[in-house]
Amino acid sequence: MAVSVAPKAPAATAKVNRRSKGGGMAIAQRRAGLLFVTPYILFFLLLQLAAFAFAIWVSFHHYDLLALDNPFVGLRNYTRLTVNEDFLIALRNTTEYAVVVVILQTAFALLLAVLLNSKIKGRNFFRTTWYTPSVASSVVISMIFLYVYHPTGLLNSILGLVGIHTTEAYLQSTTWALPAIMFLNVWTTAPTFMLMFLAALQDIPKEIYEASSVDGASAARKLFSITIPLLRPIIFLVVSLGIIGAFQIFDQAFIMTKGGPLKATLTVALLIYDNLFVDTGAVGVACAEAIVLGIIIFALTLISRRVIDTKIEY
Amino acid sequence: MSVAGSNVQTELNVPIAVASMTGGRRPGEVGDSTERVNRLEIVVRYALYLVITLFLFVPFVMTVLSSFKTSAEVIAFPPTLLPSVWHPENYLNVLTQISGFPRMVFNSFFVTLVVVALNLFFDSLVGYAFARLEFPFKNTLFAIMIATMVIPGFVFIVPRYIMLLNAHLVDTYFAFMVLYFLQPAYILLMTQFFKSIPRDLEEAAIVDGLGWFGIFWKIILPLARPALLATGILTFQGMWNNFLDWVIYMQSPTMQNIQLGLVSFRGQYQNQWNLIMAGSVLAILPILIIYVAGQKYFVGGAATSGMK
Repeated sequence: MAVSVAPKAPAATAKVNRRSKGGGMAIAQRRAGLLFVTPYILFFLLLQLAAFAFAIWVSFHHYDLLALDNPFVGLRNYTRLTVNEDFLIALRNTTEYAVVVVILQTAFALLLAVLLNSKIKGRNFFRTTWYTPSVASSVVISMIFLYVYHPTGLLNSILGLVGIHTTEAYLQSTTWALPAIMFLNVWTTAPTFMLMFLAALQDIPKEIYEASSVDGASAARKLFSITIPLLRPIIFLVVSLGIIGAFQIFDQAFIMTKGGPLKATLTVALLIYDNLFVDTGAVGVACAEAIVLGIIIFALTLISRRVIDTKIEY
Repeated sequence: MSVAGSNVQTELNVPIAVASMTGGRRPGEVGDSTERVNRLEIVVRYALYLVITLFLFVPFVMTVLSSFKTSAEVIAFPPTLLPSVWHPENYLNVLTQISGFPRMVFNSFFVTLVVVALNLFFDSLVGYAFARLEFPFKNTLFAIMIATMVIPGFVFIVPRYIMLLNAHLVDTYFAFMVLYFLQPAYILLMTQFFKSIPRDLEEAAIVDGLGWFGIFWKIILPLARPALLATGILTFQGMWNNFLDWVIYMQSPTMQNIQLGLVSFRGQYQNQWNLIMAGSVLAILPILIIYVAGQKYFVGGAATSGMK
């Protein structure tokens, strides 16, 4: 990840220590430091490390929340995933969803940011209104889009205005349900990433653009030969965060379609939920699915790093 | 966005929030200089901005307008823009028809505010130690924190659920306090901020014999207002909008938040579109007010110090 390295400021602190009476201060500081980070250490040990280890342990067992005995089954929870039809459907849907959403939302976010980064009156107004979809909760967005996608809802009303008359029930259609959820998520996530791109754009030295203007470069040329190459690290960040988010799509599918129609919007996250709460004795399977999902996300993040190549010189 | 992504979502804002606090160029100073802008170009440009604004904002406008219509009118064909008759009583009906609505509002506010308070304290405390104190394993711990931030939340859901179940914390407010009493993303935000404060003040305080906690509490925290506001606002957004954790960890009807309540209401009354829309407006209102009031903490400008 592009997030920075460990904090290094020992020089100044050391100076302070030496000035005050030697070791006493340093020991006090070590003690205070350890005490102050104890909450994080607890968080890490219990909620991350122990939880992660426990997840792996559960994934090797036939685990039932109500059972007293949960027998060891080795890799069976994993190997069975390869022939589990629901899992394969969910994995295909999720991958399809993630690929489309990550590409579209990254491109749309970049477009929005470039537009906001130019000199135009009312910039603040545009920025405020454009960001609103990212402020709303997934539930509110889902409710709004249930209305948008209703056979006589907003989308078909607007289509009617331009002469396309249809009463398609998008969320009940095996063709349209998944794209409908993709669209909704691009719409709501792109503005978040827009802000990250905008912050990075404002960091690009103005002189580079001025020089290229002198050379007579067109706006499109500037976008592809200056802006995008210089934004590589941020593009990588946006793509990785996009992958992490998109592969865990849950809320909207849970609320709007419950994975239907005919499993057209069944995602891995929905399946994990079902295995945990609906099916009995499938908790081990749920853990195996979550770990496989985690590995896929990790691998794809590494691959995208290769592809985007974040090295950059001005 | 999706997910345990409610977390991912808010964490995204961190670098930007840091940037907005640590200064840097104002937005507006920069921009690719458009040479020879002619009139046609301006018209086309504004048309583009307008279309995007409509695209991103009209659904909200229609939601608000729909919340004042009758249910039939919301999905009437041909559609109406403004309500033919305004029905403000829809909002009253939400309060009375959604069973337990006041309790949901309380749950949302209570959990959100407690978690915000916990994060203000713990994120800044840990952040301060990472930024300013020398202690064993500091760099290792910090590296661990950064590395584990990218682990997808779903990996932790099942084990955390079982752990909370065994600790009898499922279906209690404590579940959220345990899971979210600190958030690495905002510890990082606080760390970055503290590193930008000059050291002189602390050095004077050390000579004065104020202990480290005293320095943190009396000298550093008052200076950290912008970072605390960013942490508070972003945590508020994350917790107020949270759906997934409530679905997983809360099971009794009295332990729903407003988001979950909206979903179950819609499950029962599929056709009450006006009430669903009114409920949505109520659910978005607090966070919208905070967004408008604390915009600069969402929408930071300039340098991206958090990500370099």
